[in-house]
Amino acid sequence: MEKSEPKKFVVPIGPQHPALKEPGHFEFEVDGEIVTGATARFGYVHRGIEKGAETRSWIQAMYLLERVCGICSHVHATAFALGAEKLAKVTVPPRAQAIRVLVGELERLHSHMLWLGVAVHEAGFDTLFMYSWRDREIVMDLLEGLTGNRVNYSANVLGGVKIDVDDKQRDDILKGLEVLEQRAQYYLKVVTTDETFLGRTRGIGTMTYEQAELLGAVGPTGRASGVKRDVRVEAPYAAYPDFPVNLITDTRGDLEARFVVRIKELFEAIRIIREILDKMPTGEIQTKMPRRVPEGETISRVEAPRGELLYYIRSAGGDKPDRVKVRTPSLCNWGSVLTTAVGHKLADMPMILSGIDPCFSCNDRAAIIRRPDQPAQAWDWESLRLHGIEYYKR
Amino acid sequence: MLPLLRGLLTTLKSMAEKPTTVSYPEQKRPVSARFRGRHVLNRYENGLEKCIGCALCAAACPADAIFVEAAENTDEKRFSPGERYASTYEINMLRCIFCGFCEDACPTEAIVLEDNYELSFTDRKQAIYTKEMLLNPVPAQGKPTPQQVEPGVFTRSVPEMKDPTD
Repeated sequence: MEKSEPKKFVVPIGPQHPALKEPGHFEFEVDGEIVTGATARFGYVHRGIEKGAETRSWIQAMYLLERVCGICSHVHATAFALGAEKLAKVTVPPRAQAIRVLVGELERLHSHMLWLGVAVHEAGFDTLFMYSWRDREIVMDLLEGLTGNRVNYSANVLGGVKIDVDDKQRDDILKGLEVLEQRAQYYLKVVTTDETFLGRTRGIGTMTYEQAELLGAVGPTGRASGVKRDVRVEAPYAAYPDFPVNLITDTRGDLEARFVVRIKELFEAIRIIREILDKMPTGEIQTKMPRRVPEGETISRVEAPRGELLYYIRSAGGDKPDRVKVRTPSLCNWGSVLTTAVGHKLADMPMILSGIDPCFSCNDRAAIIRRPDQPAQAWDWESLRLHGIEYYKR
Repeated sequence: MLPLLRGLLTTLKSMAEKPTTVSYPEQKRPVSARFRGRHVLNRYENGLEKCIGCALCAAACPADAIFVEAAENTDEKRFSPGERYASTYEINMLRCIFCGFCEDACPTEAIVLEDNYELSFTDRKQAIYTKEMLLNPVPAQGKPTPQQVEPGVFTRSVPEMKDPTD
């Protein structure tokens, strides 16, 4: 019998339940246990939010955009509000900006702890998953007490914030943060010393500084590879000029470094919240925002828990935005997953996937085009441009 | 041996801890004061409805969940102070995003998001809450609507607020 040519063996994962409970499709080419190539496909949760924002008034669009992501909802609303206020030339009172940052940092605590739980769950370390999600309830309760909701807080309005912080809430937050700080110390100890767990993280999914720069990794994923990039530091928005942030980076770039960077960011967030509560500016929490926003366009950048979030907002002078473009941090980080996956065991894929803190609903605006003769990610700018011309001729 | 004992000590310690589980629905977790649950329509102490059917909530609603239809008040059949009242008031709870913007838009503080979070339906029609379902019961010293009142008393639809900026 003639021996047949060895063929590529492709393991399809998803779109149902690929490690995380959100839809995304992955195809891993494997040679035995080792992954030799990876492609991804997203867009299962396309909701048409950008188009929907064009048919709603400015304030209604803010509520809609807050629902792009269920975890980092406040930063989406903040990014849109900051952009719209810049277009309308409205100066938001400092107290409102401080409260925006306060809620944003509480949300960062909640997001990082949620990620910690999911990521250690993928590693099979369910005890820490239960611990971190139990402790996350503390920050969820703080957010509920402060804004009224556990998710989608609706703390922002155009021209300020809806909620004020009184002394009781201040004390509650400080009390909660004390517990959280202790717990974060414990997490840091566990993820850096537990032998079994380190076997799943140390040296896995390593992304060098050059790779991170090339692939445009953002947020904690990039910072774990030594990319010194954080919007809060580079271009401070809202109240960040008054409450400066210390950049947290690591040089190792593997999964362990991402754990360490995110947990250290918990401490940083706790420090910022304490500082804000200590030096809370006094005064109004809202200013009047005109119903019609003057013509113009703007870029608004904020640091979401997962990385840089970019909004492009254009106004035609009406009571509705003319165009809103959202670029979410998860979108920038997929390249790093697909590149670092190569050479690792298939069993490490869930960990590498969850290592970037992926948000699939943020990816509903990603389209990955596949050609039969080439791997999907090998597209240079010129061929992409030609493909675009061909695509729109039809 | 020592790490094993230390591990078992953790187990022993957590056995003495109080469980964090809340056995819902027998036991309910209190919600915060700012919690945004199901809407209610408030009444004045005399039993008149606060809602004047202005539909500002419907205009503000980012999800288009509210439908309001107004009708004329008369002194023989008075539902609310002022000229008009809401003859139809419906909220589609499947569309509502509980942002609380209707609460902010309301000039008479008629619609308030209260602490009821137990909303469940078996079909889409049940998700539409009508005015009867949303209205608070008549207070003890009040009369049910429609009321028959003296002419010229309830002419102002928006009550005089102590602090107009509030």
